[in-house]
Amino acid sequence: MTVTPLLPKNAPFSPEEIDLLNKVVARTTPQQRSWLAGFFAGFEAAQGSAALPAAAAKPRAPLTILYGSESGNSETLALKAKKIAQKHGLDAKVFDMADADMALLAKAKNIVVYAATWGEGDPPARAIDFYAALMSDAAPRLDGVRFAVLSLGDTAYVHFCAVGKAIDARLEALGGIRAADRIDLDLDFAKQAAVWTEGALAKLAPPEASASGTVVHVDFTGGGYEAEDDEPQFTAEAPLEAEIATLINLNGSGSARETWHVEIATDAAGFSYLPGDAIGVLPENDPELADQVLRAVGLQADGALLLKVLTGYDITTLSRAAVENYAKLTGRADVKKLLEGDAYAKFSFDRQLVDVFEAYPEKLTAEQLLSVLRPLPGRLYSVASSLKAHPGEAHLLVGAVRWASHGKKRKGVASTFFADRRKVGGSARVYVKPNRHFRLPEDGHKPIIMIGAGTGVAPYRAFIEERVELAAKGKSWLFFGERNFTNDFLYQLEWQDHLAAGALSKIDTAFSRDQPEKIYVQHRLWERRAELQSWIADGAHVYVCGDEKGMAKDVDATLVKILAEAAKGDDDAGRAKLKELTKAGRYQRDVY
Amino acid sequence: MTDKRAKNEIIKENSHQLRGTLVEGLLDVATGNIAEDDHQLIKFHGSYIQDDRDVRGERAKKKLEKAFSFMIRLRIPGGLMTPKQWIALDDIASTYANGTLRLTTRETFQYHGVIKSNLKRTMQAINAACLDTLAACGDVNRNVMTAANPHLSAAHKQAYDLGKAISEHLLPQTGAYHEIWLDGEKVEDKSRSAGKGEEPMYGVHYLPRKFKTVIAVPPDNDVDIFAHDLGYIAILDKGELTGWNVTIGGGMGMTHGDLNTFPRTADMLGYCKPEQAVDIAEKVLTVQRDWGNRESRARARLKYTVEDRGLDAYRAEVEKRLGYKLGKPKPFKFSGTGDPLGWRQSLDGKKGEDKPWHLTVFIENGRIKDRAGHTMRSAFREIAELGLCEFVTTSNQNVILSNVTAKFKAKIEAILKAHGVHLDVSSKLRANSMACVALPTCGLALAESERFLPELITALEDGLDKAGLRDDDIVIRMTGCPNGCSRPYLAEIGLVGRNPGLYNLYLGAAFDGSRLSKLYAQDAGKDRIIALLEPIFLAYAQQRKAGERFGDFVIRAGYVKATTAGNQFHADIKLA
Ligand code: SRM
Ligand SMILES: Cc1cc2nc3c(=O)[nH]c(=O)nc-3n(C[C@H](O)[C@H](O)[C@H](O)COP(=O)(O)OP(=O)(O)OC[C@H]3O[C@@H](n4cnc5c(N)ncnc54)[C@H](O)[C@@H]3O)c2cc1C
Ligand SMILES: Cc1cc2nc3c(=O)[nH]c(=O)nc-3n(C[C@H](O)[C@H](O)[C@H](O)COP(=O)(O)O)c2cc1C
Ligand code: SF4
Repeated sequence: MTVTPLLPKNAPFSPEEIDLLNKVVARTTPQQRSWLAGFFAGFEAAQGSAALPAAAAKPRAPLTILYGSESGNSETLALKAKKIAQKHGLDAKVFDMADADMALLAKAKNIVVYAATWGEGDPPARAIDFYAALMSDAAPRLDGVRFAVLSLGDTAYVHFCAVGKAIDARLEALGGIRAADRIDLDLDFAKQAAVWTEGALAKLAPPEASASGTVVHVDFTGGGYEAEDDEPQFTAEAPLEAEIATLINLNGSGSARETWHVEIATDAAGFSYLPGDAIGVLPENDPELADQVLRAVGLQADGALLLKVLTGYDITTLSRAAVENYAKLTGRADVKKLLEGDAYAKFSFDRQLVDVFEAYPEKLTAEQLLSVLRPLPGRLYSVASSLKAHPGEAHLLVGAVRWASHGKKRKGVASTFFADRRKVGGSARVYVKPNRHFRLPEDGHKPIIMIGAGTGVAPYRAFIEERVELAAKGKSWLFFGERNFTNDFLYQLEWQDHLAAGALSKIDTAFSRDQPEKIYVQHRLWERRAELQSWIADGAHVYVCGDEKGMAKDVDATLVKILAEAAKGDDDAGRAKLKELTKAGRYQRDVY
Repeated sequence: MTDKRAKNEIIKENSHQLRGTLVEGLLDVATGNIAEDDHQLIKFHGSYIQDDRDVRGERAKKKLEKAFSFMIRLRIPGGLMTPKQWIALDDIASTYANGTLRLTTRETFQYHGVIKSNLKRTMQAINAACLDTLAACGDVNRNVMTAANPHLSAAHKQAYDLGKAISEHLLPQTGAYHEIWLDGEKVEDKSRSAGKGEEPMYGVHYLPRKFKTVIAVPPDNDVDIFAHDLGYIAILDKGELTGWNVTIGGGMGMTHGDLNTFPRTADMLGYCKPEQAVDIAEKVLTVQRDWGNRESRARARLKYTVEDRGLDAYRAEVEKRLGYKLGKPKPFKFSGTGDPLGWRQSLDGKKGEDKPWHLTVFIENGRIKDRAGHTMRSAFREIAELGLCEFVTTSNQNVILSNVTAKFKAKIEAILKAHGVHLDVSSKLRANSMACVALPTCGLALAESERFLPELITALEDGLDKAGLRDDDIVIRMTGCPNGCSRPYLAEIGLVGRNPGLYNLYLGAAFDGSRLSKLYAQDAGKDRIIALLEPIFLAYAQQRKAGERFGDFVIRAGYVKATTAGNQFHADIKLA
């Protein structure tokens, strides 16, 4: 493709000047442009600044940055990498696997991949097709193509970084040359990812193409994905210490559920979010559990150490990695045995770290203990408020996680941090986790269909509040599911007000345990399919939020059937239609 | 001029024969509530919207509306059920309601806690059991109570048959019930519904107020004959039914502080032959329809029509519509209003052991449920599944396991025992007790009733022991407000809620249900109630004449004056 080298709006000239220059530049040939570049460089040289002539401006090595992302981490890393690539004189294009095509790989010379793993070792939803194609026999040969893979994951999952690993192996199998070793990163990926990216790009960059003094390498390449410039100010690394203003368990007494409405005072410059974003929370551990863990390894729950353990380390998640560390550290044969065959899978089921320490007790020093633990990862919560409706606040909807196993009462760290260990006036460390892939339609007139169960309803509260503030007139339809109508109808009074005011056009509910047969949102979707089909035909955007295993899968399957019926085709036709919607950004999911 | 009619009159008029917007309301899934006007209309269909008053406080904070649910009241004239029906009702209790069956003071069942999304299915399940809820509430003839147990004697069977016949004859005719609940096709004829098309007897306004009919077979006055709008007393000659004494103008409800409202014992209208009874019911009802007060619902019951127009005028109008005169009331004698608990054999028919047996089981305040160690609901279910008997509900909130052949008596006792259901009651006071539902479901409750009376009686039993009265029949009834749902003004000890924890104490009603009580103390809490009653128990034990009833003694001993008529209820009160 030939790009007309128009100066970008951010070029160091006034808009008028940019227009004038572009009038001329637009008609130039490559030779003329090289001459210009050389001329100015030479001119600067003549003025004394030591620099090579324009030779430096020769075409740079192409780099294809590819990412597969669900919640945006890989995407952010990929977009950062693009900026860094400039420095290495690489001509980088960024592609989301969601809208990338195999052909692009065939053409590529240098590839960097940022890949997340989801589900149980699955690729992110939007990357499924690309991933399948890459793994299929139809995948193009990549002889001589140089590549490097960074995989994101969570050691809490059995299939840690499965997708990144598979892609790394596949690229090699197709003839690619590994330019830098793959790295598999846990939830605390930020620092290591930055280091790795620097290293990998340096290796990929052609040696002679390091940046030259004064020929500023401007990025001419559009194409691929252009970032919203929304680098958040508060991050997991630099969170905001915010006060908890409200804490209400929304479930009526007598409910088996416990869902907390949490209002956090986030009135700090630069703390801003959009409906669809998530708020990250760096929780504190349960002191009781911390105490058990410390005592199990023969340590006193001493002030300084305890504080560290409470606020900085993951003392719940039982992971292979942790057991490996513990085995190395203690040199215990029986712990090693745990890692052989399916022993680990057997043991780890429904267990937590403390179980290992208690089952295989060893005296550890504080340092040793900390070396076994991973940093305490933040938890994400879909923001349940519109910043326009609640300036300086962020509302979350947090489902308390509690269960019992192996004779122990277990508590979710972050959810019970709010439910049990924080009171109004207490504080929490929070940050914004943007989600570009769960957004209201630009056009406020577009209808929206919001499907969610349990805490999955959170972002829709934000959506409707936002549309009220924007006086957006588009129709809206909420499908909400929970257990019992009487006690579990989250935000019921607010939905009633929105309905009365016309801010919410329709609501359908599925309460699974109010009657003998179980009724879930997907059943309601099917009952209402005729009307859904016409809404979608009218350009409606469809959203799904909430539990992946429990709901999103079935909703997805039902939408396929509904679209199939509309297309008078089979499930494949439905799937194709759903894909279209996905590509058009009209089918967005926020599932966990 | 302005419309002085009570609001409900206009609601009924505009309801298209009780349809209102019920269908639309059921479809609105955002709320468990229904439209304001429909609150009134759904009563005619046998249901009330309520909310759990125990949790009212927390709901708004939790962004939840009130915990709405529906009470459903069945129509079971005479209260007779087959084992199959019992099983069906038991299923419904756990599938759609709060897991309990609530026997009412009018020989039927109520479910509580049915949420809107289950209302229609519940109605259909009830109808599938060949029962219904039509006219169990509302300004119509309510469920007809008949002397407990059609199987007890030929006369009881005739009372039962009459009750059924009257209930059917006075049933609303609107198609609304079938349309809304049973998906029957629309049969409303708008062109005529302004007239009497769909409801030849009730018209578009139905009655000014509820209308209650009961049938008694002396010597038992279990149905409390004098507490109802219309009553029939069987007149027997050597066990053979010769005809009925007809009573009108009884009722309990009143409003605290409104002296124009008062409980009233029914008057004798006259005597009729068996075959005239149903027609008389229609005429008594239509006179009330035409004469009753449609401006003040507090004064709209038939008892006030009789007060205002006079008994003779009412009788004359009924006779005019009948086209003949009623006979002079025949003598009769009632012994009491309670249920004889335990086993009892049919009074006539077969001889000796072959006569069917009937077991009257005491059910505290009519609440049939399972709790640890006392699984009465399961017991009855087991008995029903074995088909060992029929089931009869009584007007004292009890159940009769009826028509049992001798060889099954032991089996039934064994099952009850196994479920911790004991046939002996802790005291006769408790055996003669009734409490209305009140909190948490009743929207009108001012104080606890069903949840408080049991512990109060336990406390009073000490006093009874001191006086040695544990085995003496004394009737005690409690309500959570002055509406009188457990007929407290006809109890020898009546407790009527005024405020949380505070009750008005009434004494001096006749044991046989023929005389109303009188206010003795106001706003008494638990301790004061006990402090007031214990000395009276002692005095009664020491000073009573042979066979003198507690209700008569308190009058002779001067604790209260006798109430000679309803309009004297508020007269000569001396507060303790
Ligand atoms: C269930 C029952 C009491 C019980 O513990 O068994 C009952 C319960 C209620 N009664 Fe009653 N009444 C019940 C027998 C009575 C009786 C006794 C009787 O009929 O033998 C009376 C006194 C007799 C009479 O009618 O005068 C009675 C007089 C009332 C009144 C006062 C009527 C009046 O004329 O003043 C009301 C309030 C009203 O109608 O406005 C009332 C209203 C109510 C309501 C529906 C409250 C309401 O209107 O919102 C209560 C429902 C409570 C709940 O949560 O279930 N209930 N009610 C009885 C059901 C009878 C049935 O199966 O049909
Ligand atoms: C993008 C995104 C948005 C989210 N939005 C929300 C939201 O709006 N509201 C919300 O409540 N949550 C939301 N979550 C989930 C949330 O981030 C946390 O995962 C959840 O609150 C649990 O965190 P925790 O620290 O309380 O539990 P943890 O300490 O993380 O424990 C959770 C783990 O415990 C184990 N576990 C849990 N239950 C059981 C059980 N019954 N039996 C055995 N093991 C069990 C599982 O391994 C589970 O992974 C979201 C997640 C993502 C990724
Ligand atoms: C529902 C869910 C399932 C996940 N499954 C896995 C998994 O099976 N293996 C793994 O290594 N990581 C798993 N993860 C962790 C993600 O890969 C990790 O959060 C990553 O940073 C997400 O990157 P992204 O934002 O680019 O999608 C899972 C995360 C969630 C929320
Ligand atoms: S007496 Fe009053 S409180 Fe008791 S049930 Fe009747 S209406 Fe409710």
